[in-house]
Amino acid sequence: MTEPFLSIRDLRKAFGSFVAVHDVTIDIPRGEFLTFLGPSGSGKSTTLYAIAGFQQPTSGDVLLKGRSLLSVPSHKRNIGMVFQRYTLFQHLTVAENVAFPLRVRRRPDAEVKRKVAEMLSLVRLESFGGRYPGALSGGQQQRVALARALAYDPPILLMDEPLSALDKKLREEIQAEIRRIHRETGVTILYVTHDQDEALHLSDRIALFRDGRIEQIGSGEDLYLRPQSEFVASFIGNSNFLPAEHLETVNGAATIRLADGSVVSGVRNDREFRHGQKTRLMVRPEAFRMRPGPATAGLAVEFIDTAFFGERRRVIARTAAGQEIDVRPTSDMAQAQEGIAPRGQQIFFDPAAAFLFPA
Amino acid sequence: MSGHLLHRQPILRTPDGIGGALPALILIALFFVVPVVALLLRSVTEPVPGLQNYAILFGDGTYARVFFNTFLVATVVTAVTVIVAFPVAWMLAIMPPALGSIVFGIIILSMWTNLLTRTYAWMVLLQRTGVINRTLMDIGLISEPLPLINNLTGVTIGMVYIMLPFMILPLVGTLRAIDPMTLRAAALCGASPFDAFRRILLPLSLPGIAAGGLMVFVMSLGYFVTPTLLGGTSNMMLAAMIAQMIQSLLNWGLGSAAAFILLLVTMALYALQLRLVGAKRMTGGI
Repeated sequence: MTEPFLSIRDLRKAFGSFVAVHDVTIDIPRGEFLTFLGPSGSGKSTTLYAIAGFQQPTSGDVLLKGRSLLSVPSHKRNIGMVFQRYTLFQHLTVAENVAFPLRVRRRPDAEVKRKVAEMLSLVRLESFGGRYPGALSGGQQQRVALARALAYDPPILLMDEPLSALDKKLREEIQAEIRRIHRETGVTILYVTHDQDEALHLSDRIALFRDGRIEQIGSGEDLYLRPQSEFVASFIGNSNFLPAEHLETVNGAATIRLADGSVVSGVRNDREFRHGQKTRLMVRPEAFRMRPGPATAGLAVEFIDTAFFGERRRVIARTAAGQEIDVRPTSDMAQAQEGIAPRGQQIFFDPAAAFLFPA
Repeated sequence: MSGHLLHRQPILRTPDGIGGALPALILIALFFVVPVVALLLRSVTEPVPGLQNYAILFGDGTYARVFFNTFLVATVVTAVTVIVAFPVAWMLAIMPPALGSIVFGIIILSMWTNLLTRTYAWMVLLQRTGVINRTLMDIGLISEPLPLINNLTGVTIGMVYIMLPFMILPLVGTLRAIDPMTLRAAALCGASPFDAFRRILLPLSLPGIAAGGLMVFVMSLGYFVTPTLLGGTSNMMLAAMIAQMIQSLLNWGLGSAAAFILLLVTMALYALQLRLVGAKRMTGGI
């Protein structure tokens, strides 16, 4: 097996008795876009800071091409970073900001000039070289920060919630820029965010953090389609959790009884549950259908409210057991458009696309 | 709906409330503007009309020495104050506020303590048989007492001590406005701590250094008590010279001319600072 490009080994960071990061281990291949996703305080930023050298971990190691980074001070790690806050040097022009890492490396003038032009064109700010950061918008400042972080061709680029200060439209615009720059430069990116859409949009892989541990790591599809815990299922995408009683599981297909008494079989399950054990059935809002399919299970609901969102319609429904659920059918919208249906309406879902979690 | 917009009154700059400012304005007019004009008049009328007082001040080597010495002391004191104050200001800027306010309080308290008391305390510490010399001799670091008083060294030590708060306070304000993350960004860009200081922190803190530096320099130029008590006769400063001219020699014309030159220099420095720092601000660099 080849040596991983960047390797985080049993990384632990404790502040007194509080453990912010619990023995996190990740191997990152060269050129990957890996996102640390998680709620605030889940340890994702602390892990990033340990790689940047801003915080010395309590134990564990960070290896780049097999060599430990921990004894290397920040300014010698040769890592690029874009921060959450605007950190451009306010007294220097845009071009001087991008040139800064090259100047401190004492690169020849001609090379600095060439590289600054190249970087400004990479972030599409060619004509902004002479401006001061104070005269730029937030989005432009972050693009300059990106150019500055990439000017010295670092092997790794760290991004700590770089878009959180921007509005939604600008965020999406710069996400596209970041994807393009990742594609064009091939730099390995570690990206921290608490925004699942951003993570899904940008990353090759997502490491979902919870309480200082990695809850699950995999592609966005993995996390969305094969969540290994209720936390993952509820953090990535939207989900409904219906109380269910486990009856039996045969060959990975479980039979359960829902709160309204209806029995559903064919639910995918690889956990060991006893007969009669309380579980929770997770069904994505978009997994519901208005018409029955070949192997679908029906659920008796009453529509409470519907709202139109353009590409899809959102329906709030109430089950026979009185639980409100979120339904966002993608196809056969015609029926949903009829609006609030009478009591006794049935909606349908594919049990194989639902998950069973411990209650 | 738009009705209340129409009713919105433009802000009227009526002369209401200016009356309250009158006592202070009259005070300044009577006891600053009038005396300054009188000073100027005296400097060109006593003992006879003409510029002879200025000719004497600029022509006589003794007076030139006092001017030179005054600028030397002010320059040295300002430079040392900046160097000593900077780390303190930086510490205050990045300290947790609760702890910072305690240190701040101590600095302010030192400003409020009587100037004469503090200067006499330095005399006790710095003299030949003072605490500092005796301690150094007792531990065998020196065999002869160091000349710490009645010279430039004594004046510098005493004045830097007194000027520190005037440098620290404006500097803390400027440094607080600098995001510490900026320095982390500089480090990751490859800047050593020294590079980050020289290329980032120092230029960003220039407005504070300029403001504090001007204050310290101007105050030092006209300082009387500390240079008189801690300095020697060979490095007399302008303020002491003016006092001597007026009190001992009763030469009001010459004293007024010297005082007026001091005032002009101060104003010129202020104008220069406004130009340099003010202009920089206009171009977007803090």
